[in-house]
Amino acid sequence: MTALAEKTRQTQQPQSATSTRAPGLGAALRAEWLKLTTVRSTWWTLIALVVVGGGLTILLGAMNAEWLASPGADEAPAAFITWGMMLAPAAAVVLGALVVTSEYGSGMIRSSFAAVPSRGRVMLAKSILVATLLFVAGTATAFLGYFGTNPFFEAEGIGLPLEGDVLRAMYGSGLYLAGLGVLAVAVGFLVRHTAAAVSILLGTLFVVGPMVLLVPGAVGDWIVKLMPNNTGGGVAAAVSFNPNLLDPWTGYAVFLAEVVIVVAVAAWTLRRRDA
Amino acid sequence: MIHAHQLTKRFGGSAAVDAIDFTVEPGRVTGFLGPNGAGKSTTMRMILGLDAPTAGSVTVNGRAYGTAGAPLREIGALLEAGAVHPGRSARGHLRWMAASNQIPASRVDEVLDLVGLTAVADRRVGKFSLGMGQRLGIAAALLGDPGVVVLDEPVNGLDPEGIRWVRVLARRLADEGRTVFVSSHLMSEMALMADHLIVIGRGRILADTSMADFMRDHAASHVLVRTPQPVEVARLLADHGVEVTPQASDDRSLHVHAGDPAAVGELVGAAGFTLHELTLVRSSLEDAFMTLTADAVEYHATEQKGVAA
Repeated sequence: MTALAEKTRQTQQPQSATSTRAPGLGAALRAEWLKLTTVRSTWWTLIALVVVGGGLTILLGAMNAEWLASPGADEAPAAFITWGMMLAPAAAVVLGALVVTSEYGSGMIRSSFAAVPSRGRVMLAKSILVATLLFVAGTATAFLGYFGTNPFFEAEGIGLPLEGDVLRAMYGSGLYLAGLGVLAVAVGFLVRHTAAAVSILLGTLFVVGPMVLLVPGAVGDWIVKLMPNNTGGGVAAAVSFNPNLLDPWTGYAVFLAEVVIVVAVAAWTLRRRDA
Repeated sequence: MIHAHQLTKRFGGSAAVDAIDFTVEPGRVTGFLGPNGAGKSTTMRMILGLDAPTAGSVTVNGRAYGTAGAPLREIGALLEAGAVHPGRSARGHLRWMAASNQIPASRVDEVLDLVGLTAVADRRVGKFSLGMGQRLGIAAALLGDPGVVVLDEPVNGLDPEGIRWVRVLARRLADEGRTVFVSSHLMSEMALMADHLIVIGRGRILADTSMADFMRDHAASHVLVRTPQPVEVARLLADHGVEVTPQASDDRSLHVHAGDPAAVGELVGAAGFTLHELTLVRSSLEDAFMTLTADAVEYHATEQKGVAA
């Protein structure tokens, strides 16, 4: 109870005399890291990411190894080595969106902006942490899938060495999920509502993404190529299930451009709107 | 010190805060009083830079919020509804706040102790009662040991012991030389807590005065007279220039607009009338507040306006 009394202030003394210099991005990052690690949803979404991304890959790889080794197989084994990474984006975007929208849902965003008045810094800190966490978790999950699946392939004589496109798909999975996390943070700041943000992201990746395959002609081909699940997903796959897509790194560059556009719009509105 | 100059906030066409000027001085508790929807929370959000003013400005210690130094060391705020993630523990909430402003982590335990939440510090905030949530909000406000403390409806949801605790705390913070700005829609609470009063209604400042002056100016008293001869007594008092209002509820009672019951009694006694009751009725501050804001209440029931003061 004496803590306050100890620091009795002179009434006319400006506060800046006693304040330290302004906290920077480092303090914001540390605060956001504490936020991220002190709620359960972070751990649940990461567990979901590993179970879906790694577990499903192993399960499908184990079940299909014999068929893939048979002469009748019309898919490459490498197409299966990151199979679960087609669904892992769901966990990634939920994590990224919740980092933002859970704060709007509880009103905590006002505490956040009172503590860190630079909103761009809050958004940047969240984006950096989500991207880093998802890059590490995504890459680790891809490796888990590889090391869990490859023994089954090796048993059938179709083992894949960890090199070239297979190796690229490992850290490519991390890169794709990292980009999706940043996209989800931006969408979260735009719509400020968990259900809306998650619906938009999952709808884009898993509903609109497959549906545009039905659009005919050259226009349809380009729409398919430019959907974020295809532009960004390319680097996460050793062999694509769909051959008519951009090259993995070209696609990823386009994906980053798409993310940057959404981030820019979100940052612009964030600056203007009341919290 | 908080200073607002022509501070205005419009939502669509209507002004929630309408070109208000006020100064919150250090060393005293300033009450910010107004009915619901009067613009209190909007004003407090603008102080904290959460809402941007449509026009005008508000400064904390001469600067716009957050433009220098670590904001939580300069101004601490209890925001409405706690503004806390329900899945995080009280300690977790305070720890990220401390980290964001480079406040030592040891300060977290100090403020938890100060507000009496040490025993439940690791419980999830979603399981807290309203009162515990308010205490956590106050802990967050005091985290940076700030010279300016803004508390939006701090006694909401608190039990009587908690309300007294907030009152004592606000007083001590002011005595330490801090600027203390407390909003409430309850006049009775402000009367006990505040030294200075800013009354707001429909986005406009209705009064900006010391608590003592406000009580003297607005809490007018009257004398209640009960007599078997109400008509005659009313005529007598009226003849002596005293304003009298018959009571609708009881045809033997008169509402006499005078401050001295002895004078009324002597006048009536000298004329030979019988008195059954002679009482000085002090109008409550709540009534004074209601009268002041009667025309400025955003949402009010239609059956009555404030009781006569």
